[in-house]
Amino acid sequence: MGRPEQRAKLGLVNWTPAHLDELRALLGDDGVLASDAALFTYEADALVLDHARPDVVVLPRSSDEVSAVVRWARAHDVPVTPRGAGTGLAGGATPELGGIVLSVNRMDRVLKVDPERMFAWVQPGLVNLWLSQQVARHGLYYAPDPASQQVSTVGGNVATNAGGPHCLKYGVTLNHVLGVVAVLHDGVTVTLGGEAPDAPDFDLASLVIGSEGTLAIVTEICVRLLPKPEAVKTMLFDFVTIEQACRTVSSAIASGIVPAAMEIMDRHTTSLVEAWLHIGLPVDAGAVLLIEVDGPAVSLEPQVERVIALARAEGTRSVRVAKDEAERAAIWRGRKSAFGAYGRTASGFYIMDGVVPRTRLAEALSTIYRLCEERGLEAGNVFHAGDGNLHPHVLFNADDPAAQSRALEASHEILRMCIRMGGTISGEHGVGIEKRSMMSELFEPDDLAVMARLRDALNPERRLNPCKILPGGGGCRESTASRQGAPAQMGGMHVRPDGEGPWI
Amino acid sequence: MSATLGLDAARALDPSGYAMSGTAPRFAIRPADRGELCEALRAATRDGLGVVPWGGGVSLSREAAPPRFDVALDLRGLDRVTEYEPDDLTLTAECGVTIESLREKLQARGQELPLEAAEAWGATLGGVLASNASGARRQALGSPRDRILGARFALGEGTLARSGGKVVKNVAGYGIHRLLCGSRGGLAVIVEVSLKLQPAPASRAAMVFGVDAATIADAGRWSFIPRMEPSALTVIGRAAADLNPVLSTRAPFTTVIGFEGEAAHVERQCESVRQALGAAKVKVADDSATKLWQHLADLEELQGPRLSFTTTANTPAALAALGDDFVIERCVFHAPCGRLHVFPAADQASVVLSRLRAAGFTLIDARGVALEARATSIGIETMRGAIRRALDPGARFALGG
Repeated sequence: MGRPEQRAKLGLVNWTPAHLDELRALLGDDGVLASDAALFTYEADALVLDHARPDVVVLPRSSDEVSAVVRWARAHDVPVTPRGAGTGLAGGATPELGGIVLSVNRMDRVLKVDPERMFAWVQPGLVNLWLSQQVARHGLYYAPDPASQQVSTVGGNVATNAGGPHCLKYGVTLNHVLGVVAVLHDGVTVTLGGEAPDAPDFDLASLVIGSEGTLAIVTEICVRLLPKPEAVKTMLFDFVTIEQACRTVSSAIASGIVPAAMEIMDRHTTSLVEAWLHIGLPVDAGAVLLIEVDGPAVSLEPQVERVIALARAEGTRSVRVAKDEAERAAIWRGRKSAFGAYGRTASGFYIMDGVVPRTRLAEALSTIYRLCEERGLEAGNVFHAGDGNLHPHVLFNADDPAAQSRALEASHEILRMCIRMGGTISGEHGVGIEKRSMMSELFEPDDLAVMARLRDALNPERRLNPCKILPGGGGCRESTASRQGAPAQMGGMHVRPDGEGPWI
Repeated sequence: MSATLGLDAARALDPSGYAMSGTAPRFAIRPADRGELCEALRAATRDGLGVVPWGGGVSLSREAAPPRFDVALDLRGLDRVTEYEPDDLTLTAECGVTIESLREKLQARGQELPLEAAEAWGATLGGVLASNASGARRQALGSPRDRILGARFALGEGTLARSGGKVVKNVAGYGIHRLLCGSRGGLAVIVEVSLKLQPAPASRAAMVFGVDAATIADAGRWSFIPRMEPSALTVIGRAAADLNPVLSTRAPFTTVIGFEGEAAHVERQCESVRQALGAAKVKVADDSATKLWQHLADLEELQGPRLSFTTTANTPAALAALGDDFVIERCVFHAPCGRLHVFPAADQASVVLSRLRAAGFTLIDARGVALEARATSIGIETMRGAIRRALDPGARFALGG
């Protein structure tokens, strides 16, 4: 099964000023960036460990301009790597073979809102949070809320099928996209799905969503909007042990409650966040558990009472229910700042995005701590407990190559544990470059072969975002982590300790 | 060539039980497990046979037979629930298990199967996913593609492969399992799937109203309902409603409005509807509401030619554009998900199609009539062809078209 490796490296064009002029003729002078500074900026997304310099960055404004770029790239045998805000944690926007980085940042408009039928058409460069802000006056919002939502784009969210804390109840990006306009490898523009909930024949939109720009470039998106919940209650519990917090999550699910969100931060994370933000988190707790329920007001009080009873049964030391929107916002700020808090203090850390069945959370966490301890490393955990989606942070001294190597090894073992437990290597960040070699641990050769067949059917020259998702491929290099001697590439990223960085 | 496709003779069945609109296949076979399934596909590949994967036959028996209807591959021998962990709210089961048996299994644990189908006692999990079947609660439950977490599938050449997984969040690899939803067995055989479940709601209620045409057309009357996020808002023409005593109101239209959730919420929603629309002719709750959902799903499989449409319109007022003749007499419209089924006489189908297209409805399926429901864009046709050649290069599956 599968076809032999069929091509040599893309992107062998010898770039000349004439090439740039041709692109400027398509996009205007301000639509083409080629300065050293610009090319440096677009070398990597938030996975800075792996980077590659593009030959040019283009900033189209419309589907037609994207199509023109793809046709030009095809004529010149150049790869095209689409990019949203560059907050991706898996290297999905890294132009591994050089060529063109196609940034959708200027395609940032809401094209149409239909408040009665509750959908909107948007361009892919629209920032996720702006969408909800712009439809708020209709009493509507866009449900998927990755922690990066103040920066990341709807297009990037579509590429990775992004989740977020509230996907426990509301589902991931896929569940909120009705249709897309997409440019195929040959520059042809298609509309897949649309405003109506169904489309005839094969559901091509749901295949393109989550394909990380390797099957088509999405240029317009029709999203489903939801009525804003009538009421929200946000609770914070603290526990002596993280196992108690995990058991509370399981018992909430088992009791028939589907909260909007259930998030856990361990002691390490809580103390880092509290030291930074001073929002009153209990720093001596083994774990804090955030549970949010939303919906009709009359439904909430009984749910809150049941959740509190379950937490008490597991031995929570304290119960904090946000009194108002300000307190709720403070609690959420604590959760969403976790990544930044690590960035402030650790000189280096790797973050993973593995998933385990939620009933095995406690077991998974104790294994994570053990795997790190055995290697003399510290680990912190902050995660979407309701979904079983873990974000372990393995900390190391960035100036110590041996420690970094041990951290990579621990990361790899953690993802292997997720696979053994019946889970997966990525819940929401995507595979990108970072985890592609681990795909052969998650899947059998026949599974990967059929995925490769599909990719090659829609992206026959692998021009669109080459070297992503699937292991192997013409011209693609080994990932940085592999080159550094770790057993395989894995869920790693290295953040500069300046507090800036991505979100989880 | 062998009628057993390389399997034990006991696996061969009478082909006449697998007729599509009266046309029987040359062979019918029921493999006992996935190994035998792959063996049969390899035999079909050797002999160049066209294969139609077959579940409960609910949908297929009413469809036109494809040109190469050589083998009906009955999948009801693959009927194991391979993993059900209630506290994970996930389930993994083989394709041949029936919807009703899954429901019973989940009900015992206070959970709900987020799939609906006509004739749930016979409809199989694989068939429901492959035909993208649904019912009145499609918007509330999500489409099959929203609920499938992963699948193991058999390719035409007899190879097993897998995409997705069994955990509720997973973005590793391509969503081939989602592509198989609605593919009608035209790309691969769905062998085993994992689904995201949900807790059964604490309370359910459904109100049945008799409504006249002027009321249906009064958009202002209905406009508040979508934001109440009802579980069901279904409009049924009189002739269709009269087939079921619970739904028959003797009015030109029967409208069913349903809510599910916490008891206090459901009660409040029902009261809001009562204030706006008056008292319901019938109001049912809990188990009776569940039975009513099944009646509504069953109405999608009325006899005769069927045209299915999708629309952005999400209230009964969308039907005002249909006129008031035979079409509307037998229509079933699930407003929240914009899905309309009409059952015209075969010689009227193209007239009905033009009229509905003009009213903003998009045809998604045509059964029993020679109409093409597929999108006509060249780009989509090219994409579709490329996918078909990639997944089923031998064109083993006769319904891939």
